Amino acid sequence: MPKITIFRQACKGVDDCGICTFICPKQLFQASEEMNDAGYLPPEYKGERECTGCQNCMIYCPDFAIVVEKDIGDEAPDKGDENEQE
Amino acid sequence: MTVSIHPLKKYTRSHITRTTTCPGCGIGIVSQAILRAIDELEFNMDDFVFVSGIGCSAWIPSPLYNTDTLHTTHGRPIAFATGVKLGLPNKNVMVISGDGDLAAIGGNHLIHAARRNINLTVILLNNGIYGMTGGQTAPTTPRGLTTITSPYGTMEHNFDITPMVVTAGASYAARWTTYHPRQMTRSIKKAIQKKGFALIEAMSQCPVQYGRVSKLGKAVDMLKDFKVNSVKINKARNMEPEALLGKIVIGEFVDIEKAELSEECMNLRRKMMEAM
Repeated sequence: MPKITIFRQACKGVDDCGICTFICPKQLFQASEEMNDAGYLPPEYKGERECTGCQNCMIYCPDFAIVVEKDIGDEAPDKGDENEQE
Repeated sequence: MTVSIHPLKKYTRSHITRTTTCPGCGIGIVSQAILRAIDELEFNMDDFVFVSGIGCSAWIPSPLYNTDTLHTTHGRPIAFATGVKLGLPNKNVMVISGDGDLAAIGGNHLIHAARRNINLTVILLNNGIYGMTGGQTAPTTPRGLTTITSPYGTMEHNFDITPMVVTAGASYAARWTTYHPRQMTRSIKKAIQKKGFALIEAMSQCPVQYGRVSKLGKAVDMLKDFKVNSVKINKARNMEPEALLGKIVIGEFVDIEKAELSEECMNLRRKMMEAM
């Protein structure tokens, strides 16, 4: 099971940025209700079971605020290149 | 339970807790793509010299990357980088700057560095506007776009940077958007290893100055726009010029081997020392 960590203080908010909510193929991110120190609403993560570990959220996050860790030995299907245009 | 750390955190300065860009800016995606390329190549950060000019995207290496950086005058990062490369030929010299810096004010330096084919890696972030100074029309602004200085739409044609650099004689040139960070990382890896002038044009979104004034929407809408309007170069070669209006041609434009300037200089120096 991949482990998702969101660094709430580094995030710049789902209202203004929201790239994680758009880029996740399973739509597993939504705005949380609690502000961080800078006044932004960081995302919260729901439904760990559905995550495939594609790492889209980590690669597209402009603020280095999401980390996806795959378990060692966990053969998660790599669906990362599904937007490949080649 | 262990504390999670971002895998690229080791390449950034420890006192930086938050990036300097606006919410939703594409600069963060490109800066991550560069660090990921260096990480995957297993290169040492100390073997790099990063040179940047003035503008939003010039802020990538200067406060963020934990290595030697030069933050230079407006439009001149390639001129400084040429000097660094000729002085320290064993270092990987990378220029990271924006379109206003490298293509508008420093356009001539870009053309002539490509002509000389000096071993530099240039990452040009093209957001199509002068973002830092308030969103004025830039030479890269698409024709007809409403900006703060062109309320009825720009009348000028825009600059097509990558084909121009290919014509000037670069060894490697590629263009990707922030919707394609995986492909961009792959191209940056190739560009770092390339002996010769290598350019990566990264089309990036500016939701604050570009998206708000031109009513294209927020970061997510601009990313959707990149997704819809990108055309791979192999496909674009068979398309009519009218069909390509408003499209972004992405992919590798050129990948060739040719004589490189800093190596030629080293050879000449060695030859002269032997003759003495």
